[in-house]
Amino acid sequence: MRDAMTTTSVESVNSLSTRLRSAKVAAVAGLGVLLAGCAQNAAQDTFAPEGENAERIDGLTRLVFSIAGVVGVITFSLIGWTVWRYRDRGQPIPEQSEGRKSLEIGLTILPALILVGVAVPTVQTLSALNKTSDTECVVNVTGQQWWWEFDYPVQPGCLPGGITEPIVTSGQMVIPADTNVLIRGTSRDVIHSFWIPKLNGKRDMVPGRVHTLRMQANQPGIYAGQCAEFCGLSHANMRMEVVALSDAGFQTWVDNQLEAYTPPEEGTLAAEGEQTFIANCSRCHQVNGILDTNGTPIVSRPDTQVYPGAAPNLTNLMTRNTFAGAMWDLIDDQRREEVWEASPEEFDELYLAGVEDEWLNAVRLRAWLRNSPAEKAMYADPTQLEPTDGRYRGMPYLALSEDQIDQLIAYLLERK
Amino acid sequence: MFTTGSKFLIGAAVISLVATLVYGIGQGGVMGTIGLTSATVARAGLAALNLFLRDSNVFADDAQLDTSSAAQHAPGASVWPLAFAVGAIVVTVGLVTFQPIVIIGLVLVLAAGAEWAVQAWSERASGTVAHNASVRSKLSNPLEYPIGSAIAIGIVVYGFSRVMLWLSKTNTVIAFGVLASIVLAIAFVFAARRNVGKGVIGGALGAGAVAIIVAGFVTGIDGERDIPVFETTALWQSEAILHPEEFAEGTEKGKHPAGLICESPEEFPEADEDASQTVGNKSNTVNVTLGADDTLTYRVPGPTASVGIEVPTFARSNATNVIFFNRSDEHRRLSVSLGTEEVEVDGETVTAPNQLCTTLIEPGAEQLITVIARQPSFAFDDGFFFFVPGVDDARLELVVP
Repeated sequence: MRDAMTTTSVESVNSLSTRLRSAKVAAVAGLGVLLAGCAQNAAQDTFAPEGENAERIDGLTRLVFSIAGVVGVITFSLIGWTVWRYRDRGQPIPEQSEGRKSLEIGLTILPALILVGVAVPTVQTLSALNKTSDTECVVNVTGQQWWWEFDYPVQPGCLPGGITEPIVTSGQMVIPADTNVLIRGTSRDVIHSFWIPKLNGKRDMVPGRVHTLRMQANQPGIYAGQCAEFCGLSHANMRMEVVALSDAGFQTWVDNQLEAYTPPEEGTLAAEGEQTFIANCSRCHQVNGILDTNGTPIVSRPDTQVYPGAAPNLTNLMTRNTFAGAMWDLIDDQRREEVWEASPEEFDELYLAGVEDEWLNAVRLRAWLRNSPAEKAMYADPTQLEPTDGRYRGMPYLALSEDQIDQLIAYLLERK
Repeated sequence: MFTTGSKFLIGAAVISLVATLVYGIGQGGVMGTIGLTSATVARAGLAALNLFLRDSNVFADDAQLDTSSAAQHAPGASVWPLAFAVGAIVVTVGLVTFQPIVIIGLVLVLAAGAEWAVQAWSERASGTVAHNASVRSKLSNPLEYPIGSAIAIGIVVYGFSRVMLWLSKTNTVIAFGVLASIVLAIAFVFAARRNVGKGVIGGALGAGAVAIIVAGFVTGIDGERDIPVFETTALWQSEAILHPEEFAEGTEKGKHPAGLICESPEEFPEADEDASQTVGNKSNTVNVTLGADDTLTYRVPGPTASVGIEVPTFARSNATNVIFFNRSDEHRRLSVSLGTEEVEVDGETVTAPNQLCTTLIEPGAEQLITVIARQPSFAFDDGFFFFVPGVDDARLELVVP
């Protein structure tokens, strides 16, 4: 008997100990979640809008959360009070009565009114977010596993003189600040979703369709984003950034993008890099204006190598701060902090300086050139390309020597 | 709790599962993993079935019946051993001849085996034949009826489809009409006569089914009617480029106009005859319109900002649907020039125009083409452009950056 009691008591202690441990784990996890919400200046914080579209969403979210919060507090308080007030104290079950018409009608009308109260600002916000008549600049956005391409069609918008030649870039979409930009998005392969939390909500980019999205940033700066629709192996690494420049800064950026190709000076490492680029990279990556030894323009044919048929245009690679689908920065941590933390007045100058040798993120770029499939999850195993007719999804291993990597970096540093 | 047979099958399933995990994780072979997984599932299924049947012991609720061996009737005649044997033969024949037949054989083996097992088990359920039959029905009928019906309907439908594919297009319509009329007439007769027996109705349905199956068998052996390949604009374009001599010969004989179809305002056989004049896809397309003034205009899908887009711009290597609206007074086609491409002609590499085009459509009609530009437009001196053969002013630049 005594033994049995001892055993029961030991079991109770063990059970209590397990519960306490579980409670501690839950408390730590909950605290972690709570602390994560306290992050200051998080790059993808939806509650820190920096454009009028995101401000509208933020305003609506706060309003709806407030209403829902008040309703929640009242509801749970009433439930709690009822549970406490009528808890089981051994009293007999009270007489059961059915219905109270006035209360039922009231409790039907009240939620309906609350929902109407939420619906009005919701519809107004949706309508404002879908407005396109006041947009002044068009950027075509094309998603592809696992990077974003941005092209600027010839148009009278974006700048006082318009855009006179098409521009194509990737990773970072550059727009004029305080200007309503219309994104016209699609996809080459699977459904992606374009999302810059500080500037607007998400928009799916669907193959064969064009979906539009307003984009506006109040002031110059960089705004981080992330593909928001699962799109395959490296979905988590499919990032993008929107860079907003002042009008003058945007004009400088456009002028620079349209400048003619300047080949590297003969006899330099960069000139060797140009040949290495032609031999190893130009099959997929386009550099506008590059010529072969016969003086013939080299046109990349990514469609013969890459499954969705395109690869990032590298004509002005070093004017942007990211590479490999914006997975990594082209600039080192110190420079990144300077650019990202710059005041709106200083931002143009810092961003337009592009990437210089002294702040190049050489370690990461070298690693990428050395063996890209080891750095980013892609379908780049040459033995497993049967389903794609021998074409890759992503960048394959190129077996470059360290000397070739040096040459390529020297060459790419001049692509500004 | 677990019967002897179940223990064996559960153990086999567990071993299979362990083998699946070890092989799947250790070796990573897809086919092997699938095979072992299948074995695991099959054994688990058999174990579950055996648990349910309690090693073929008689159900507890049958205890009041006389189950002594002396009271057992001799097993009745059964077709299932024969069906099982036929299935096994079909599997063997399939393995040495045409492998898809193996699947039919396996299905027969499994079905006959299951029926055989259930029948044998039910015959030992009690000493009462009627009761044994009802035990068998309770277990088998819920599966036999739906599966059997589905197979029977499938055979009839398949037979009917063979007949339809054997007949010419016109005769198909006639045959379908006649058949529908017969069915309607018979149904009318049955409806009008209230005292028609079940046997008559069943006999009529059975006769009809047999007739369709026999007709399907005969026509299936004879094969489908010839379905000609429709000559599209892409086919005419590639024929002219890849087989220039044959194409010129055809032109000389007056079989078709000369030149590339995408550069010709003339009507080519088949491709331009009876071509669809309307399109179902209306949304998210680029609209290119040939106006009454013989100029081309465009509209890209969706809003284009207050400022508009000056030149249609398509993303590289991206499929873009374009609807051509012919609002001129003539039959016209829309063509798009995407530079040139290298092609092999009689073992030699030649440079040929890379063009796509719609069929020749009548005034007021519409047609769709899907454009995929693999190269940028700046790769060619003339760039990319839409044009309408026979209308000099109808030219519209297309940019692919």
